[in-house]
Amino acid sequence: MQPIFLLLIFSYFFGALAALFFGAHAWGRLLMGVSTGVGALASILLGISVIVSATPFQLTVPVLLPMAGGLALRLDSLGGFFLVLTGVGALPAAIYGIGYMTAFSPARVSLRQMGVVLNLFLLTMSLVVFADNVLTFLLVWEGMSLTSYFLVVSEPEEPGTVRAGVWYAALTHAGLVLLLAAFVLLMNGGSGSFADMRETAGTLAPGLRGTIFLLAFLGFGSKAGLVPLLEPEVAAVQMAPSHVSALMSGVMIKMGVYGLLRVGLDLLGNGPTWWGALVLAVGAASAIFGILYALMENDLKRLLAYSSVENIGIVFMGVGAAMLFGAQGMPTAAGLALVAALYHAINHTAFKGLLFYGAGAVQQTTHTRDMNQMGGLIRTMPRTAFFFLIGSVAIAGIPPLNGFVGEWLLFQSLLPGVGLAQPLVAALVTLSIGILALTGGLVAAGFVKAFGITFLAIPRSQEAEQAQEASPSMLWGMGLLAAICGLLALTPTWIVPGLTRVIAGLPGVGIATPSFTLGLSLHLGDGFADVSPLLAALGLLVVLGLIPAAMALARVNRKLRVSDSWGCGRIDQTPRMEYTATAFAEPLRRVFAELYRPTKELTIDFHPESRYFVQSIGYRSEIRGWFEEFVYLPVLSGIQWMSRYVRLLQSGSLHGYMAYLFVMLIVLLSTLLWSTG
Amino acid sequence: MPNLFQKIFRTGIVTETLDPEGGEVVQLVQAIDAQAKRMFGRALAIRMVDAGSCNGCEIEITGITGPVYDSERFGVHFVASPRHADMLLVTGPVTRNMEIPLRKTYEATPNPKLVVAVGDCAQNCGVFAGSYAVAGSVDQIIPVNVIVTGCPPEPTDILRGILTALERLPKRS
Repeated sequence: MQPIFLLLIFSYFFGALAALFFGAHAWGRLLMGVSTGVGALASILLGISVIVSATPFQLTVPVLLPMAGGLALRLDSLGGFFLVLTGVGALPAAIYGIGYMTAFSPARVSLRQMGVVLNLFLLTMSLVVFADNVLTFLLVWEGMSLTSYFLVVSEPEEPGTVRAGVWYAALTHAGLVLLLAAFVLLMNGGSGSFADMRETAGTLAPGLRGTIFLLAFLGFGSKAGLVPLLEPEVAAVQMAPSHVSALMSGVMIKMGVYGLLRVGLDLLGNGPTWWGALVLAVGAASAIFGILYALMENDLKRLLAYSSVENIGIVFMGVGAAMLFGAQGMPTAAGLALVAALYHAINHTAFKGLLFYGAGAVQQTTHTRDMNQMGGLIRTMPRTAFFFLIGSVAIAGIPPLNGFVGEWLLFQSLLPGVGLAQPLVAALVTLSIGILALTGGLVAAGFVKAFGITFLAIPRSQEAEQAQEASPSMLWGMGLLAAICGLLALTPTWIVPGLTRVIAGLPGVGIATPSFTLGLSLHLGDGFADVSPLLAALGLLVVLGLIPAAMALARVNRKLRVSDSWGCGRIDQTPRMEYTATAFAEPLRRVFAELYRPTKELTIDFHPESRYFVQSIGYRSEIRGWFEEFVYLPVLSGIQWMSRYVRLLQSGSLHGYMAYLFVMLIVLLSTLLWSTG
Repeated sequence: MPNLFQKIFRTGIVTETLDPEGGEVVQLVQAIDAQAKRMFGRALAIRMVDAGSCNGCEIEITGITGPVYDSERFGVHFVASPRHADMLLVTGPVTRNMEIPLRKTYEATPNPKLVVAVGDCAQNCGVFAGSYAVAGSVDQIIPVNVIVTGCPPEPTDILRGILTALERLPKRS
């Protein structure tokens, strides 16, 4: 495995070097794309070989970081899964990036910088799953955060980018502080090696373990963009270049899941029920709030970013359910929930990447992210539209695509929790099943909006009318992800047993592989339902494909007339008559008015002579998010209040600082004198 | 709410029972019903198009659905879209503004379709003939099966026209 590992490292390094020296040329970017792609392939290969062989890959370089145990790398099957996930996200990004990067004007965006940072980002993100001691982990974690910050601000002149970057950097570093605190508490004076921490974690006091768990959950949850810390993550994903958005939303936020699994489940061991309940509740809240905010968005990439919050919420629901069932002594249900979470995580990488690439292709040619400026793109960009449709169907959880399999597994794993003895816990599980179902319906509505408003009907702007199909490398990137979606959808009978191997080492999840039988349909063991995505796909193929084909062949519809759609006989149809993105979401906006708290502002300018004539009319409507008003603003004003007092000390005067030094010296000397004398 | 129910109970049924032999109108609508069932296997759906009428014909057509004729009970429905219609009931001279919408309406009606032009204006533009705003009579714009004359024609005439159109329709293949 060592050669594959070295290939991984050196491919990303070589990609960074290629971008550094030749990134300004098209062939240099091709070289970089190939090199990054090789790195991604190596990570998929390494991850799969670790999972299949069930022998961890280990490498220690004590020389590199002499303090705190050196650079310790170890890849077990849990890390292997997340490494595969990184590769699945990175490979299409490398291909897509070759064509996508040409769209940026070299005057405003440094393509060399973007290429270098992208490769370093992928490298550090891959290394996160290898880290085997605290120092290594925090180092690569910080590397991942920093590089992603630089990727977010790739287009600094775009309005909103710098603000998004600052918010993102602030949140990600607040998360780092929490993680640092969690790790220091977890080390408890011992060594920082994960193996030692795993040994001693059980001996810690329950209160301390709870605190560590809370800190870790907050820290990793902020990386994942969970409620209520979603806003900075969403803004960062929105403003980043699209292939970076796909990587951040598809892969990086999953590192939050990995971190929680590693620290909260692997290192800390099984916790009390409230840990799982908390994760489940926060996951469910993220799922429903994420999709509700996504529905209101008219910015295509922001919609997708909010939808990522929803999906990561679903993943955390699975993780929370696993921890909860583990604490309740239901190992099979726990294992199933974890399998569902991991399955949904990799599904989300595939379809959200696909959707972001589609959005990037649209943005590249129409120069806007506003859906109300799009429309009719299915005629000018048919292939992009097809791939976006595949992504939309997949994310809505409609069989036969892959979103269905993950959510079905999660439903199956949650159902046994309804009968739990503690009424509060049972109520929580029941409620989260309902929320999961509601989320599924809202996602379908949201992506009917995203696809319909963007690609169907008449173009709403000149740019949309003159849109052009994406370049071949971008289409290949999308096609690859669409194929991965199909693969994940049709082969759960192979993937689910693989995932049971991934989670085999975790405490509280005693899932036995034989309870999953292979074959056409997925049999989860006694007490659970069966499903066969392959047969479902075949059935759909027959109903939707073969029957119409046979009807066409038999000329059943020979009297078919093709004419315009009925528009009440109006002579000319203009884009202004179309359903807009805002109008599409209006019913939901009314139903959930309590949550969105929309403001309306109508200004009418009448003619001075008569109120029957209107000179101009203005309408503004906004939604005010709860989180922005009740979480961010109070925190911000609190920080500002505090910094006013800090400013008294930090006067900026050199004399003042010298006085501090002098006073400090005297205090130290007198303390020394007092303690020795 | 209790008052409402009280009133319903106290008032009872006040409509008169239908006389089976009840005059020409009842016989007409029953004939239309039977004919429509034979032709379409269900009720007759009519889309009314005002192509520029003075609204005299409209008042008479409204009479068809009024309490005296009450065509709905015999399965003669007025529908809101040509997509749902078997028959178009067109009134008035076709104005220039309504020419294309009328064509589009005809185009949007599924086959087999019938067109009944109602009123003298629909036949020959009536007093509006020669006006700069008029594009022509209905049969100059779309194919017409039956023309009902009168200014305005009575509801009975219109019903007779509808029946004639139904009888002329070739049987369902």
